[in-house]
Amino acid sequence: LSLQVMLVGDSGVGKTCLLVRFKDGAFLAGSFISTVGIDFRRPHLLTSSSLLLFQMWDTAGQERFRSVTHAYYRDAHALLLLYDVTNKSSFDNIQAWLTEIHEYAQQDVVLMLLGNKADATHERVVKREDGEKLAKEFGVPFMETSAKSGLNVELAFMAIAKELKHRSMKTPNEPKFRLHEYVNKEMKSSGCCKS
Amino acid sequence: MEERNRNRETQEQQLNEFDKSTAKERIDRIDPYGFERSTDFDYDAYEEFMSVYLAILTRRSIKWSKLLKGNKKVGKSLKVKRYVRKGIPNEHRSLIWMVSSGAQAQMDQNPGYYSKLLNGEKDAKLVDAINTDLHRTFPDNVLFRKTAEPSLQKALFNVLVAYGQHNKTVGYCQGMNFVTGYLIIITKDEEKSFWLLDALLGRILPDYYSPDMLGLKADQEVLGELVKVKVPGVWQMMEQHGVMWTLVVSRWFICLFVDVLPVETVLRIWDCLFYEGSKILFRVALTLIKHNQTTILQARNFPDVCDKFKQIIKGHFVEDCHGFMQSIFIEPGSLPMTTINKLREKCQASLLAQGL
Repeated sequence: LSLQVMLVGDSGVGKTCLLVRFKDGAFLAGSFISTVGIDFRRPHLLTSSSLLLFQMWDTAGQERFRSVTHAYYRDAHALLLLYDVTNKSSFDNIQAWLTEIHEYAQQDVVLMLLGNKADATHERVVKREDGEKLAKEFGVPFMETSAKSGLNVELAFMAIAKELKHRSMKTPNEPKFRLHEYVNKEMKSSGCCKS
Repeated sequence: MEERNRNRETQEQQLNEFDKSTAKERIDRIDPYGFERSTDFDYDAYEEFMSVYLAILTRRSIKWSKLLKGNKKVGKSLKVKRYVRKGIPNEHRSLIWMVSSGAQAQMDQNPGYYSKLLNGEKDAKLVDAINTDLHRTFPDNVLFRKTAEPSLQKALFNVLVAYGQHNKTVGYCQGMNFVTGYLIIITKDEEKSFWLLDALLGRILPDYYSPDMLGLKADQEVLGELVKVKVPGVWQMMEQHGVMWTLVVSRWFICLFVDVLPVETVLRIWDCLFYEGSKILFRVALTLIKHNQTTILQARNFPDVCDKFKQIIKGHFVEDCHGFMQSIFIEPGSLPMTTINKLREKCQASLLAQGL
């Protein structure tokens, strides 16, 4: 099963870092360069039952690049929308990103909101509750992540994989996989060290 | 016992000498421009190449010194064009870029303009956007570290902010950070870098960096049209797998090959860019594609195609900057400016018609 996942969000929120963290399990502070345009990467991920192939699209966050990147929205099965908990304006822009996504992405695209850099407790300016509230308002699953510590990074990708896998195998009268509930349940079980 | 010890010492000595005699031991871990060599850098191939290239550099250096003797003026002539294509020695690079691009003339006509921009009021959003990219520009270059003395990060910030204030339509666009970084490395001067950036964005390149990026989008399509004629197999394959040109070549154009090709090769390309204009970018792109068409055509699916395009910008062909620069004037064949202009017009018009 091959999944097209695209990472979007303002410039500097940590899209490339999150992707590299998931792919290589590494975070090298100060080794990342600004993504220009759109970058295609493909790591493999083996799950217990079957081989999942993630095809990842990393994008530039700067506004003028959106006209270059939104052509790819329609091919994406899942979108990870990121903001930076230490950057208020990246949070304020989420609504604009959602509008953009609704305009260009497939209607049934799997969408998840991620508040990244959750490890930076001192610089944090966006409260966890604010993220939750916004996510609830727009009906999208939400979690806080940290590419630096690894918090919830794997979970974010696994959750969308499960959702997409469920959709692809589902017979019409099977109960719907509940991404929200899965995320909430898993997050709680992983969370002794949350801020 | 003593003898055995002595024997071991000689052995160790021999081993040490053997160690130092590898190319990796002889060559600096940091290149002449401040970049740390990557872990997979091929020291042996580099040394082999440099043993030949050093002689060429020396010869070019003598020729240029004669040419420039007594005058700072470099007119446009076939001789100078030939000289530029064979590479400007690093000690003259800044001067020749400045003169041939018209940046020097602009700087002379506008004394104090750069410092006025720096001391003037600055747009907060512009400053924010630039700040976001400062530590993400050349983290592998020791001169750009915050701790470097002086740190080129500060110069980079100044030039980008000044330019954003000077050209408010463009402001700051990602990619300009990498281009400006190279200008600062070569000129070692903020004001010169500013005027060279102005020459590039204002006169040499189409509007790659403006908010609608029309010039960039058009040039990607122009490249597609050229590939269609000159390397039809690759064009067909791109169509077949539905790969848009923007996906594989946008960084080539926006970064003017910085961080795409090896540093020395990029500088040689820029020698021609400043002297001859933006057509050179198509020559480079076409050469990369045509020279590697067998490799590219091995791609079996969409991800393969993307991988191949990342593969062809590496290896001996591009590391050998001198050989590469010779190929770009031969391999793609004739490429008249009238053709480029026509294609640019056509592609821009069709993009505008599509509302892009």
